[in-house]
Amino acid sequence: MRRKPILPRVWHFASFGAPGVVIYLCFVMAPILISFGYSLTNHNPFNPPSEFVGLENYKLLFQDEQFLTALRVTTILTVIVVVVPNLLGLGVAVLLDRKGWLYHALRSVFFTPVILSSVVVSIIWTKLLDDRGPVNDLLRAVGVEQPPGWLSDPDLALFSVASIVCWQMLGFCVVVYLAGLQGVPAELLEAAEIDGAGPVRRFRAVTWPLLAPSLTINTVVLLISAFKTYDYVKVVTNGGPGSGTTATIAFDVLATGLDANHVGYASAMAVVMLVIVATLTTIVLRFLRRREVDL
Amino acid sequence: MRRSFAWGAALLIAASLTGCTVGGGTSTSGGEISFLTFETPNLPPFYWDSAIKRVTDRNPGLSVKKLVAPSTDRTGYAKQLLQSGQFPDVAIAVDSAGFAESGNLYAWTPEELKDFQFPAANPIKGGHHQLPANTQTIPPIYYNKKLFADAGITSAPATWGELLAASEKLKAKGITPFTIGGGKEGFPSAMLLDGLVSVEVYGKTPDWLSQRRADKVKFTDPAFQQAFGKFADLVAKGYLDKTQVSRDYSATEAAFLNGEGAMYPMGNWFAASADAKKPSFDIGVFNFPSEDGKLVVPAYTGGGIVVNAKSPKLDAARKFALAFQLDKEQIDASVKADGLFPAIKGYTPPSDAGPVFKAGYELYKEAVAKNAVVNAFSWETADDGLLPGMKDKVYQAAQDVITGRKPVADACAFLDAEWAKAR
Repeated sequence: MRRKPILPRVWHFASFGAPGVVIYLCFVMAPILISFGYSLTNHNPFNPPSEFVGLENYKLLFQDEQFLTALRVTTILTVIVVVVPNLLGLGVAVLLDRKGWLYHALRSVFFTPVILSSVVVSIIWTKLLDDRGPVNDLLRAVGVEQPPGWLSDPDLALFSVASIVCWQMLGFCVVVYLAGLQGVPAELLEAAEIDGAGPVRRFRAVTWPLLAPSLTINTVVLLISAFKTYDYVKVVTNGGPGSGTTATIAFDVLATGLDANHVGYASAMAVVMLVIVATLTTIVLRFLRRREVDL
Repeated sequence: MRRSFAWGAALLIAASLTGCTVGGGTSTSGGEISFLTFETPNLPPFYWDSAIKRVTDRNPGLSVKKLVAPSTDRTGYAKQLLQSGQFPDVAIAVDSAGFAESGNLYAWTPEELKDFQFPAANPIKGGHHQLPANTQTIPPIYYNKKLFADAGITSAPATWGELLAASEKLKAKGITPFTIGGGKEGFPSAMLLDGLVSVEVYGKTPDWLSQRRADKVKFTDPAFQQAFGKFADLVAKGYLDKTQVSRDYSATEAAFLNGEGAMYPMGNWFAASADAKKPSFDIGVFNFPSEDGKLVVPAYTGGGIVVNAKSPKLDAARKFALAFQLDKEQIDASVKADGLFPAIKGYTPPSDAGPVFKAGYELYKEAVAKNAVVNAFSWETADDGLLPGMKDKVYQAAQDVITGRKPVADACAFLDAEWAKAR
């Protein structure tokens, strides 16, 4: 039997894979490697030449109170953004998992914020949450004499920013859970009903395990989005009020790199952030994948 | 043959794409120069388009491609353009620090600066890289004459004591004495602090920030802490509303023009809005008062055009910059649109400039005549300016004191710590 020559086969696969590989190398791997390279220097674009400083930037980073504060802020924000849209999204998806024009319309309503620019969303919410904005006007109208300073109170501002992110991400979670719900076989639910399971039992025993892939997708997407939150913070609070109240690591990276011109140090921050996100994502993925069941 | 042709075409496309995006330097074509501008409520697209057209109409060889910074942070945007090899030929109101030291900005000759009133403003390593086109006083205090009258205040405060007394009267009437802001811009929360440091610290030690750069003084030194302490005193007495630190710049301005708050410490560019928007009350203006009433007026001269030293169209860029900044019609337009005080020899503002502008301009002229002008703290941009990245730290320190998160000593220590990191 005559074997097919190897070269055309290799060429066949390479021609399929090459564009993706090239794009990935150029736009993902190369920036990461360049950033890592910068992180080992004291690179300042306005003060060349840069010198190799080894791990000095990393050593300084973990003694830098501002970076540690940014890490704390980012962690709190991430926990809120991963938990709240997931929970609310599941609840809304269950409510909207019905047929009829009203439910279709409501799905669009919930999804609309996702397609808006985060900057536009931030501007809208800045106006709404202003001390003299509609939210506080409403509170005053119902008798609250001193409504909260949503964006000016250092104890509240981070939660306000987190709420804005949650509001925008809710629609995404709803859509993913709705897709998951529609993949749950009706016969399994009917069988459970015939066996005498009530709605809560049916959800817990049948629907919820089958929604595991949706939970995985939502959790990972939210985790990554929350960790790289920059635009909301930049537009809504500019990292304030005051020092270290809403400044995330991503915000700090840009401020240190672009405003203070310390590109080497900012690159070290970015590398640490990448390592944290990659580690967390891997752990979460491994944990959640174990829950997933095949039909 | 066909395959060779395809490979050749692919290589050409790849090469042309790479050439467009990497290290391309200025991206203008033909005789066109690129001009980085920015837009604000005072300076809408129409202002820039008209200004460019005026200059190009009078200089037929010039052709200009307008670029617009995506936010008011045009310096940050200029850095991005520089890093990506797209630094424009000409840019306006970009902080020249950093760009100048690294050799990216053209240094103007004394001959080219002969028509400017303060040709020696903002030296960086001995060179003058930004046309010293305008002066801004930062901050005078604008006030609502009706609210002052309602509180029984008959004259504008001239000393710190009189300012406190006026604030107390206003507060007793249920009027918020000062309108402040913050939000995404940050600077409206630090205007009072800027005024206090300029008047109290620079008034006695004009080169204080140069000394800070030389580590001869610190933010935690008594002189600076005392000025910051006066700011904290205003907060403690309830003359500022801490909830206002979330308000962005345009909302802050709107609040004052709507009659919320009696006094508004802001740069003199506010005069243009005040005159254009004509609120329901008269607006007065007074210089930021010192402890004993000694006249000290913080101001910044600069903000004009910078030229890319590596521009392939350097001559055209320089010609455009000078034509733009010295054109009488354009200067008049900038006075009306942005309330700037042109720093051009022999220039007089148009007679139909608004009353708030005229009042502020008279105060400034008096300060120049009496040699009472000092740098405006946190607005300097030259060798005696804050280190890169420190402006935001000043705004944060001010907000920490306003919101009660930090006492003055901690806020000053924070500034020293950030200064050490910014080096």
